[in-house]
Amino acid sequence: MNFLRSDLHWNVWLAAPLLLSLAAAQTPPPSGQAETAVKQSAPVVVKSYPPELVRSGRDLFRQDCSFCHGRDAGGGESGPDLTRSKLVTEDVDGDKIGEVVRNGRPDKGMPRFDRSDQQIASLVAFIHTQQNRALTRGIGGRKGVDAADLQTGNAAAGKQYFEGAGGCATCHSPTGDLSGIASRYQGLQLEEQMLYPEHAKSRVTVTPASGQAITGTLAYLDEFTVGLIDSTGSYRSWRTVDVHYKVDAPVNAHVELFSKYTDADIHNLMAYLQTLR
Amino acid sequence: MNFLRTAFFLAASALIAHSGVMLAQGVDDQMLLHPPADSWPGYHGDYSGRRHSSLIQITPQNVKNLALAWAFQTQQFASIKSSPLLVDGILYFTVPDNIWAVDARSGHQIWHYLYPPNKGDHIGHRGVAMYKSYLFFLSPDGHLVSLNCKDGTVRWIVEVADVNKGYWTTMAPLVVKGHVLVGVSGDLDNLTGYIRSVDPETGAMQWQWDSTPPAGTPGQTTGGMTWMTGTYDPDLNLVYWGTGNPTPVLKGGTRPGDDLYTCTIVALNPDTGKLVWFFQVSPHDTHDWDAVETPVLVDGPFHGTPKKMLMQTSRNGYFFVLDRTNGKNLLTAPFGPVNWSLGVDKQGHPIPNPDKEPAPDGRLIAPDEGGLTNFRAPSFDTKNGLFIVDAHPSWSIYFAKPADGEYGWAGADYGVWGKGVLEAIDYQTGTLRWSHELGPEGSGAGVLTTDSGLTFTGDALGNFLALDSSNGKTLWHAGSGSHINSSPITYQLDGRQYLVTSSGGVLFAWALP
Repeated sequence: MNFLRSDLHWNVWLAAPLLLSLAAAQTPPPSGQAETAVKQSAPVVVKSYPPELVRSGRDLFRQDCSFCHGRDAGGGESGPDLTRSKLVTEDVDGDKIGEVVRNGRPDKGMPRFDRSDQQIASLVAFIHTQQNRALTRGIGGRKGVDAADLQTGNAAAGKQYFEGAGGCATCHSPTGDLSGIASRYQGLQLEEQMLYPEHAKSRVTVTPASGQAITGTLAYLDEFTVGLIDSTGSYRSWRTVDVHYKVDAPVNAHVELFSKYTDADIHNLMAYLQTLR
Repeated sequence: MNFLRTAFFLAASALIAHSGVMLAQGVDDQMLLHPPADSWPGYHGDYSGRRHSSLIQITPQNVKNLALAWAFQTQQFASIKSSPLLVDGILYFTVPDNIWAVDARSGHQIWHYLYPPNKGDHIGHRGVAMYKSYLFFLSPDGHLVSLNCKDGTVRWIVEVADVNKGYWTTMAPLVVKGHVLVGVSGDLDNLTGYIRSVDPETGAMQWQWDSTPPAGTPGQTTGGMTWMTGTYDPDLNLVYWGTGNPTPVLKGGTRPGDDLYTCTIVALNPDTGKLVWFFQVSPHDTHDWDAVETPVLVDGPFHGTPKKMLMQTSRNGYFFVLDRTNGKNLLTAPFGPVNWSLGVDKQGHPIPNPDKEPAPDGRLIAPDEGGLTNFRAPSFDTKNGLFIVDAHPSWSIYFAKPADGEYGWAGADYGVWGKGVLEAIDYQTGTLRWSHELGPEGSGAGVLTTDSGLTFTGDALGNFLALDSSNGKTLWHAGSGSHINSSPITYQLDGRQYLVTSSGGVLFAWALP
């Protein structure tokens, strides 16, 4: 009772034990050193919101968000489970959620929404309430993927695939670029990075009809325009009809693998990558 | 004075009489059966769903001169996903809760209708339907609104789906012989899908066809939503409609078997709503692959025999050709990467591979949940015999575990990679005559073809494109500044052919100078 504070407009209490149990459930066995979505060290403050604010947030969420994120914010068509979102966990009174709602996430296909501060406050209240509710329910009943779900592979077989049939070793090294990869990414995020590292940069070399070839980081490409960031950090672009250009995209090797993988290959690779701490 | 007054009166009478012929006639059955060049009176233009125009003013030779005639800004964040109607020189188009009537010559607003705030799902809107001088509009919270096309005033509003159960509505109704046919959405809950026929005069229900048994029927599926506009063959008097995925979406345990009539193309009698035949394109779906994509009606030879055909590029990755008189399969062929089936059975149905159902440790699946295509319209180019579709080769991982329950989504899936490719499919073989890369992730643009040999669509970067239908080569483009989520239309007004496209919240009209 000593940590129940009733002097605030609405109730705030500490829920550290609860979150610790969730963190344990999400940590891949056997050595649980991995970072989890919720920090275990500091006590975590869980806030509750006025019911009327949550209700209006629920209605707005249903209109604008539920198609992708599920009516209960637990994930749905194309949108992630917000109840286990790191961004939601780290959000304080909408400082992060509000930005995503207002600006969208064009790179992930999320549109922006023209909503008032009050409306965003209600959405924030609803999303946090759903996250709190999911936490108090434990992991049962929720959609999403735990690191524990992804432990069905065999690390030795994964290593063999990495060095052999998969061709991974052609570009990657467990002691080089992948050293410590399992400390940087865990669970589903690691698997997604493994299958297709979506932020991997490609290089492009552009040769104008007159002048020297310029190589840089590919910044834009459609049928009509090619753009790059050059060695000075400047953006430059050309009409594709005026130049020759050649894209070097090693990440395409990941696309080539999709039709070759068995599901066991993926699970084995996952097991192997998780040994690279 | 008398003479002048009489002359004025006569002139005014003549003008009124003339206007009476030219204006405000609205839409009748003849117009829907044979849309004139200066109209686009239904979602697909005509009843066939081919989105192929006989207009030939804009050609492969002159399309490079295509220029902006006007643009209309909705001033909304919502992306336009609707096909405008064009009737009597006025365009009618929508985003959720909103209808605009816009002058097709100038792009200026005639009226705007705003539906009251409501808690329905605002995911998108495909447009209005029209009959006589009445517009028909579905609201996010499951109401059918009928308005006067002249000024946007409301005639009546009736509920067609219960938002409190979890339904919402987005589609453009189909008007057939005085029936307003509406479909419903709602796969976040375990609900029955249905098509309902409504009286255009009164809003009264005429009939309803249910795609699945009532929720709670033991061992039976729910779902089969009907959220895209069907097509119609007046000679056979059959309406063709695709149904959506079963629910629970990613888990099939509580709904063993094929889960009829989910992910199915159905042929209904529009007068009675009775099912005449069906063909299931995804038996026992566990990947959210609605089969609601346009059932395109084509008459022509198939392997030397004249056939009345129905074609669909389905979200599950297969291209289907059916005999639309009886639903018998003529061809089933994948039109991109597909890894979830064990092949195709003797009747042409893909056989789902149980090992590719969502699992606790994940399954790599092609295509992704958005599918190899989706609601964006394909086009059948009658001139070249090509079925042209904006395809989305893609891969994803699907998960489901006991803790995810047996309600609504019941699992999780994550897209891994995808791209957009415009594909021109030879309908007799399923092979590609040509393809045209559209860019990373994929494009949301639909397709329009014309008799002059042009294919209009858009790429993943927001460029409107005009291609040579015979080989897929780019002939014209214009950067639109936003993602394209709609399908182009065309019409000829005052002797001038217009192309209408949209991206983001802006409608663009293009014409030759």
